[in-house]
Amino acid sequence: MDRRHFIKLTAITGTTAALTACGNPENQLIRFIPEDDLIPGIATWKPSICPLCSAGCGVIARVMEGEAEVFRNGQPGVIKMGLAKKLEGNPEDAISQGKLCSRGQAAIQITYHPDRLDKPKKRSGERGGGQFVDITWDEAIKELTGKLDELAAANDQASLAFLARPRRGRRLDLVAELLQRFGAKAPVTYEFFSDEVLRRTNASAFGSHQLATVDLENAKFVISFGADFLGTWNSAVAQSVAYGRMRQAGAGARPKFVHVDARLTQTAANADEFVACKPGTEGLLAMAMAAIANKTADAGDYAPAKVAGKTGVPVEKIERLAREFAANGPAVALVGGAPLAHTNAAFHAHAVNTLNLAGNALNQPGGLSFVPQGSRAATRPLKEILDAAPKVLLIDDVNPVFASPASWKVADALKRVPFIVSFGSFVDETSALADLILPDHSFLESWVEAAPESGSAKAAPSKFGPVMRPLYDTRSTPDVLLEVSRGLAKPIAPAFPNTFEEYLAGGGNPSGLPPQSPTGLPPQTPVQYTEPQFDGEADQYPYHFMPYASQNLHDGSLAHLPWLQELPDPMTSGMWCSWVEINEKKAIELGIAQGDLVEVTSTQGSVRAPAFLNPGIAPDAVAMPVGQGHTNFTRYGTNRGVNPIAILAPATVAETGTLAWSATRVKIARVGGPDVDSLILFGGATRERPDWTHGRGDEH
Amino acid sequence: MAERSRWGTSAVFTPAHASAGDAIKAFFDSRPDTVAQPFDFSHQIHLSKGAVCTDCHTGVEQGPRAGIPNVNTCMICHSQIAIDRPLIKQLTEMQEKGLDLAWNRVYDYQPQAHVRFNHAPHIRAKVECSTCHGNQAEQTVARRAVNMNMAFCVNCHKEKQASNDCLTCHY
Repeated sequence: MDRRHFIKLTAITGTTAALTACGNPENQLIRFIPEDDLIPGIATWKPSICPLCSAGCGVIARVMEGEAEVFRNGQPGVIKMGLAKKLEGNPEDAISQGKLCSRGQAAIQITYHPDRLDKPKKRSGERGGGQFVDITWDEAIKELTGKLDELAAANDQASLAFLARPRRGRRLDLVAELLQRFGAKAPVTYEFFSDEVLRRTNASAFGSHQLATVDLENAKFVISFGADFLGTWNSAVAQSVAYGRMRQAGAGARPKFVHVDARLTQTAANADEFVACKPGTEGLLAMAMAAIANKTADAGDYAPAKVAGKTGVPVEKIERLAREFAANGPAVALVGGAPLAHTNAAFHAHAVNTLNLAGNALNQPGGLSFVPQGSRAATRPLKEILDAAPKVLLIDDVNPVFASPASWKVADALKRVPFIVSFGSFVDETSALADLILPDHSFLESWVEAAPESGSAKAAPSKFGPVMRPLYDTRSTPDVLLEVSRGLAKPIAPAFPNTFEEYLAGGGNPSGLPPQSPTGLPPQTPVQYTEPQFDGEADQYPYHFMPYASQNLHDGSLAHLPWLQELPDPMTSGMWCSWVEINEKKAIELGIAQGDLVEVTSTQGSVRAPAFLNPGIAPDAVAMPVGQGHTNFTRYGTNRGVNPIAILAPATVAETGTLAWSATRVKIARVGGPDVDSLILFGGATRERPDWTHGRGDEH
Repeated sequence: MAERSRWGTSAVFTPAHASAGDAIKAFFDSRPDTVAQPFDFSHQIHLSKGAVCTDCHTGVEQGPRAGIPNVNTCMICHSQIAIDRPLIKQLTEMQEKGLDLAWNRVYDYQPQAHVRFNHAPHIRAKVECSTCHGNQAEQTVARRAVNMNMAFCVNCHKEKQASNDCLTCHY
């Protein structure tokens, strides 16, 4: 599929007319009888769920009749069909409430992406060489079934592993149940920006292994410790809507929002007060505030005077913030992002929970609450398959080769796996290593469901049918898994329903098992402060390295969507590129000017990117957005910018084993002058960049 | 599609026409009246047997576009009527294979005119189909019997006291 095709599908009738006038190339293709009965030119809106993050926002898709190049019965051709043209938030949905973030808006590009895989592929060359040949679904399923039969025959079912994103919902439940009945271990999950440590701390403090829903709308004082809750953290759309209501509240004192961080994020820029705090000490500030709010006579190590020295926040400010927190109820504290990615992350999560308890924020208006959730499928961490390679690995929508430090050597570990199947819709760094790629339908073509853990005060599980018929010879991954389970020599017992649709219909509660409410308040296990551990000596590597979730590309899984590539970052206006944020004064001191090429070096390696001078970052920190630097991720994402994840040290959060991505120190050096092609900012430097290999200059 | 002209263009400038010749033809609205169709359909026969336009061109009363019938629409009648004719046999065979006819557009506007036409309000205003599409009872495959230039639209709008505001059609 070329770019012309993509434009044609997203454009409306005018474009169709233009192409027709030029001598319709589709006429060379056969034309299928339409399967839908649609009135041309009349739009209908159909509900679905955005798949791009775990928030599970309900969306509505505008569907109109259009012409599309499709595959039917393995044959390419043209058909008139209902095509999703635009996504908006679903006004009936408790999470999105009719709103949608920029990433959600761009989700429509997944379906029409010119590099989307349109049929099953089998590796034909060296592993990782990117050589694939087309095969039929029958051949593909037979091959996968054969591999699983081999494992079963050797009584080695435990050598099957499934790698997915840690999303709550029936899809992962189905995978877990299939694995269990086959005799394999629980699915392995991986996500770069993981909130697992907060979930675990919440489980210990509040009895709920999940993220809390924050009633921002009714809060009078909000303090966020690093949580980019208006941009990328947790349920950003729901939180933005609630925050908007908080800000637009009528009479009475204006609620106050304080943000604590080492870098001015988009969320921080919305705050009434920004408190710069040394990385890895945020929890101390929360503990000191809690002690003052509780009127604790002897706060010990958390006395403001002691905390001030470590956090860099003056005593008077700590005391004032604590007084404001205590006096302006309902007050609530949030934690997310960098504080939860230090080696002492559990302390920060515990400290913020302690502060919330001091403010009596639990289950109160303007405070925290936990949505009743069903038990979720047990999962295993990525480390387990890195340490002991499985014999058959199934990978669903996760790209750990890109989103893990080079020192984890994920690619090497995957190369040791004899047989890998990816269900990805695109070739990325991980699926390039697969032996078989069995492309999933896009979410608009599939049955979708979500049981959001947060974002709404009440449980808001939802499931919807396909918005449109599939364009290509793809198949819904849960359906493929069910088909494989039926085809095994020793069929799985008890048998599953035939399709994911039937599986969804079978369970009354989309989160699987019976709902359970958080019960009582078990005593919170105190976590003592330990000094954050950083990789790299401070004298040799003087800067804290702060990778952060890109507003557009998130953890890099969206770098293939051109709308998000071309969308300027809200704080720097950077687009289509990577950059290194350096404190403005520090940069002048170092002789680094805007756009200069800078080398950022950790003990693990180095990356080069243009400098962006930022007055809103600590002088001893440098930050880089995550998302760029793909080596193999469609024409829009490949070889653009650099990947800061690659140079992260393999430090982990002790309690969860998740990556401590804030625990790396770096040094920086200017290695060259400004290069107009490397730092692309909106306005002034904006221009066309016709540098992808095809798809430009051959249309219109 | 014709190769795009590189004359006087850059990578960022997209010319509306493939060549200067095409631009001149478009300017004088010089187009053939007949459009090759994949199937020897006769409007004349169908209308003479009592069919009406909306039997096949569904949606014209509800939406902006008149539907172009697919093979299934043909077979509503032709599964019973004239099933022994070679052309109808061809249709039956196509339906069995799930294949449709690739009709070519007869009427359209130059995209650069930015004209949007909506059938439904015209039908509601009781404008006859033949006003814009000519007398189909005299045509086999449809041909461009009426030159739908701006004067044609504006005159009719004037006559029927419909809006002649630019934004009525150009948006």
